[in-house]
Amino acid sequence: MLKVGAALLSFVMLIGLWAAPSVLAGEQPRRGGIFEVALAGDPPSLDMHQEQTFMVAIPLGPVYNNLVMFDPHNYPQIVGDLAKSWTVSDDYLTYTFKLHEGVKFHDGSEFTSADVKASWDKILFPPEGVISTRRANYEAIKSVEAPDRSTVVFRMHHPSPSILGNMAHPANFIYAKKYLDSDVHYYKAHSIGTGPFKLKNYVRGSNIELERNPDYWKKDLPYLDGIKYYIIKDTSARAKAIRSGRVDVEFRGLPPTEAEGVLKQLGDRAVAAYPKAISNWGVSINVDKKPFDDERVRKALSLALDRYDMAKTVGPLTGLETVGALMHPDSRWALSSEELQALPGYGKDHQANLREAKRLLAEAGYPDGFKTVLTNRNVKLPYIDLAVYLISSWKKVGVEAEHKVEESATWSQTRVNRDFELLVDPYGSATVGDPDELLDKFVTGFSENFGRFSEPVADGLFKQIQREMNEQKRIQMVKDMQKSVLEKMWWIPGLWWTRVEVRSARIRNYEPQPSHWMNRRLEDVWLAEK
Amino acid sequence: MWQYIVKRMLLMIPTLIGAALVVFLLMQVVPGDVALLILGSDQGGDVNLAELDRLRANLGLDRPLYEQFFSWLWGIARFDFGTSLWSGAPVIEELWIRLPLTLEVALFATIISTLIAIPLGTLAAIRQDTWIDYLVRVVSIGGLGIPAFWTGILIILFLVIYFEWSPPLVFVPLWEDPWENFKQLIWPIVTVGYRNAAVAMRMTRSTVLEVMREDYVRTAWAKGLHERMVVIKHTLKNSMLPVVTIIGAEFAFLMGGLVVTETVFTLNGLGSFVVDAILHRDIPVIQTLILLTAFVIVFANLIVDLVYAWLDPRISYR
Amino acid sequence: MANVMHDGQIAITPRQLQDMELQKSWARMYAWPAIRKFIVTKPLGTIGGVIILAMALTALFADALAPYDPYEITQSLQFKAPSVQNWLGTDEFGRDMLTRLIYGARIALFIGLVAAFVGSTAGAFLGVLSAYMGGKVDLIMQRVMDVMLAFPLLILALAIVSVLGRSVPNVVLAIAIPIIPRTTRIVRSSALSVKENMFVEAARAVGSQHLRVMARHILPNVMAPYLIMLTAQLGNAILVEASLSFLGLGTAEPTPSWGLMLSGSAASYAEKAPWVAIFPGLAITLAVFGFNLFGDSLRDALDPKLRHRT
Repeated sequence: MLKVGAALLSFVMLIGLWAAPSVLAGEQPRRGGIFEVALAGDPPSLDMHQEQTFMVAIPLGPVYNNLVMFDPHNYPQIVGDLAKSWTVSDDYLTYTFKLHEGVKFHDGSEFTSADVKASWDKILFPPEGVISTRRANYEAIKSVEAPDRSTVVFRMHHPSPSILGNMAHPANFIYAKKYLDSDVHYYKAHSIGTGPFKLKNYVRGSNIELERNPDYWKKDLPYLDGIKYYIIKDTSARAKAIRSGRVDVEFRGLPPTEAEGVLKQLGDRAVAAYPKAISNWGVSINVDKKPFDDERVRKALSLALDRYDMAKTVGPLTGLETVGALMHPDSRWALSSEELQALPGYGKDHQANLREAKRLLAEAGYPDGFKTVLTNRNVKLPYIDLAVYLISSWKKVGVEAEHKVEESATWSQTRVNRDFELLVDPYGSATVGDPDELLDKFVTGFSENFGRFSEPVADGLFKQIQREMNEQKRIQMVKDMQKSVLEKMWWIPGLWWTRVEVRSARIRNYEPQPSHWMNRRLEDVWLAEK
Repeated sequence: MWQYIVKRMLLMIPTLIGAALVVFLLMQVVPGDVALLILGSDQGGDVNLAELDRLRANLGLDRPLYEQFFSWLWGIARFDFGTSLWSGAPVIEELWIRLPLTLEVALFATIISTLIAIPLGTLAAIRQDTWIDYLVRVVSIGGLGIPAFWTGILIILFLVIYFEWSPPLVFVPLWEDPWENFKQLIWPIVTVGYRNAAVAMRMTRSTVLEVMREDYVRTAWAKGLHERMVVIKHTLKNSMLPVVTIIGAEFAFLMGGLVVTETVFTLNGLGSFVVDAILHRDIPVIQTLILLTAFVIVFANLIVDLVYAWLDPRISYR
Repeated sequence: MANVMHDGQIAITPRQLQDMELQKSWARMYAWPAIRKFIVTKPLGTIGGVIILAMALTALFADALAPYDPYEITQSLQFKAPSVQNWLGTDEFGRDMLTRLIYGARIALFIGLVAAFVGSTAGAFLGVLSAYMGGKVDLIMQRVMDVMLAFPLLILALAIVSVLGRSVPNVVLAIAIPIIPRTTRIVRSSALSVKENMFVEAARAVGSQHLRVMARHILPNVMAPYLIMLTAQLGNAILVEASLSFLGLGTAEPTPSWGLMLSGSAASYAEKAPWVAIFPGLAITLAVFGFNLFGDSLRDALDPKLRHRT
């Protein structure tokens, strides 16, 4: 009896021991493998500080570290990357960062606080001939000091509630002072960082290869042997590459129909995520051109749009599927639904809105509508599809908008020259969508205010928003600012964008973030067996 | 003969310079420049006007026009084709990466299509108005009527849906790994080749028909079998003249016209490169590429003329 | 030299007189019997002609034939398969495919006709001028044509659309311009051969103005290559518009042009809603098919007056 019992027990234990590894195997990171990514185009140069496109941020993310970053597993928490810890002074004017020790660059040289200072000086106070495209986001920073090898101190002009989030922007790579001193443009063609991967090879137009950094300062990382980015310019071709297994993921986002195709073909071999990007496409109005100087006309244009129908129509085609005001509808800065529906064009009774729009137009002197031109960028998704809907809606109140589609370069010039009547105009954030980042667009004189409108109430509120450390007060100010811009419809909001990121189910320890710029370091990502 | 060749090559120069000048002026007229694109990427970005000016100065875009053009021209004379405004790499390097692929597709498509087209076209002409003729004409017009990119997309879609396979993404030269090279390039070669074969087939057919109508041909034909062989050889020789012209022209246009094919099949070739350059307003690249294309076309015309002369001894070098 | 009589008068043989008069009344005396003959001897060409006719009628009576509005967006009808309400289904915006294809015929014919006509006519005119004037004018003209030929079509179209933007007139321009040098070449060689002809010498000796000479004597002889070029380019123009739209350079939304419909949906929607991609593709293929069949047979019929040298 006992013998049988013992045998049974050992048998059960053996089963348990046999099963246990496969239970644990799902959690144990597997080392090795080449991670393959489809990338939409070539980076113009390799220096992220001087570039504006995700085509640099995505392939070069793994090569560097930042001072602070967004936690790839716990958005929107900010954690230290090269910074071990930091303290903020009581008056919010001094940020002191303690840095990790024993960090080496890819060429073997030691990393110190001097490198942080050199990199940030380049971003904040670029020398002659160097571009720093996001400089305006850091206007609150007065200076950067490196009192000792492992401490960096940032001093501010004024308290800024958003500065830490801005500093955690993925583009703020830390370069080596040694190379910046020798040639301020060194990083345009070279990549020496402290990151988990090193640049191995770059064949322009074809692919970018990274290999594992065996001396990475974070112990035991990375898991992957290497990463390869294939440059595939056609959107549909990128989706096909995932379907045929040639790549594991596409990092910017696919149109919903393409994503459907991938999921249908690969089934549970693929995983889709729908992060709500902080990106909005709307319409900029040139308020100096008749009849747009008349508030009634602007309101009529917004009233003519049934945003809820627009979301249902254009959403499945482009990902533009969320109705909201000027701040992201899922954030704490968003207007409540009552507040939203009170704005012209957000009410749920579309027929009533149309009648009101026609009435306003008649009152403004255009009972039969008028002709105008909607200038747009030559990119199908979502620019052109959005415009098709807008034009069709405006037709219903008699506004005949000619669709003027321009090449990106031409469109860029048009914006800068202000050569438009109506302009399809996107804006957004690659980090958390703080009001400082998003709302400066609606301030008088700001370069992104292409329609060049001026709303003094909004200007006044924005100045306070930039300095208010009390969040509750700040939230109220942000809401008020949105209302002040939208009640007079200085800028017509469209829809907020949902990204669709499809990846191979083999990828582990990776979650897509709202912005396609984020979580690109891949230092702790691994690939499961096929 | 060498005199003639040299003379033709020299005549090329004003044409090429003219083309480069036209391109340069065109680019000045076209709105937008590369600096705007660098700063305004993705969602438009914050185009800071001060930064814009600095970037333009960096890239030398603020120099007077004639200086920009002549310094480029002077560079060409010393075989220095300038630096890409977009990537900062030498234009020659950028071209060199992409040339083998485009050349291979163009060459193979032309060769294969010619090998198919000439026999079939001749057959159709000899058997005019019979079912063979109709078949050849329908097939060739099909090749012309179906948009090339559509065929390409259908092929890729078919391969992906039913075989879960798509062509390799990275170009491997033929001499390094022929099988990998084949896997990537066979589809664009077939797609482009079909269209070219169609054009050549029609041309062959109509010129053979024309030659066959000549009195001497009809007489020889009526005489019997042995004469028919003579006739076929003779007919072919004469009808090849315009066919050769067409093939030469098609090859030259292929070099610049592979744009659509390269986009559909994700090929890193000269066609998609020149499109990118235009969209980026990358002036040195565009100018160099147009120069290259013009050279190829003019050179192809020269070869065609030489072949002409070889085929028809009545034509002399003037 | 045989035509000049000893008293300075020009003698024209009855045969020559007949030819000249026939050229004038070509249309009247030859048209109807020619068409009948064409239908009988060239069945393929006739099919092509019928297709072209059908297309033209559709384009002309689009407003009456189309069941719906080609621009109206209906959310609830997105991607609907062919049904009784929508014979050919609906597209990504819920717009009726049949309606858009019908209006598309109008745009395709417009673009094709205008581009081919403008390009061929301008090219023919320049070709005749160049041949007739000879000398320096001819030399310079030929070099200019060479430069134009050196530009691959798509590159030129890209540049034009970049400057002018995407619209139907700009696309017409972008397609027409590359046609010019190609037509000039062909017409010029035809005109050159005629120039040597007696008529011209004779007419000039009498003192006829240049334009008259060109119109009366040279033009009829270059009619054949001109017509061939025209019909060839018509079908080609439709294809080029489709390629341009695929690259994002052709007509812009919401214009219901076949090329745009095909390219917009071709890769992305083909799986989900095949009808969105198939029907525009069929329309294009059919149209080009028709133009080419007709053009081919026309070339065969006009055979004796041809000289091939592209």
